[in-house]
Amino acid sequence: MKHVVKILTLVVAITAFWIGLLQTSVVPCSHTWLLPIYFIVSLGCYGLLMVGIGLICFPTCPQEALLLQQDIKEAKEYLKRNKIDVGSD
Amino acid sequence: MELADRAVGFLLSFISLSIFTYYTFWVIILPFVDSDHFIHQYFLPQEYAILIPVFAGVVLLCFLCIFIGFVTLKSKKKKA
Repeated sequence: MKHVVKILTLVVAITAFWIGLLQTSVVPCSHTWLLPIYFIVSLGCYGLLMVGIGLICFPTCPQEALLLQQDIKEAKEYLKRNKIDVGSD
Repeated sequence: MELADRAVGFLLSFISLSIFTYYTFWVIILPFVDSDHFIHQYFLPQEYAILIPVFAGVVLLCFLCIFIGFVTLKSKKKKA
């Protein structure tokens, strides 16, 4: 099953559950908007948390950076030898 | 520098976790606590639990619309 269908069924199930709770007066009607706003806030928090965790575990690969700098230097020399302007030196 | 990145990431996750726990406590746990418990003085009245996220969402939406309009106008001015 596709991922979006799963997410949509989950949202519909939670909405039905919340409307059921409202209808049977377990939750007073002044609190209708409590659950959707709670879910939106927690979704925002989850997104922020994932960004923070990704930033913490970001790999920097220092060896690759060195190899990349060497590649750039070689390319610049090759192009300069063939009389192509490489910009800043 | 990776240390600055790590510090920003840690700050972001700390902010998000604190907002989540505060909001969960406010919305879910506090209604079941007796009204003369001392913990109620650390939390705003319950109406603000709905007003503040809605207000923040509206502010974010306005900011996005203003930003998009600004960028569109700037690109149109540059083309003309």
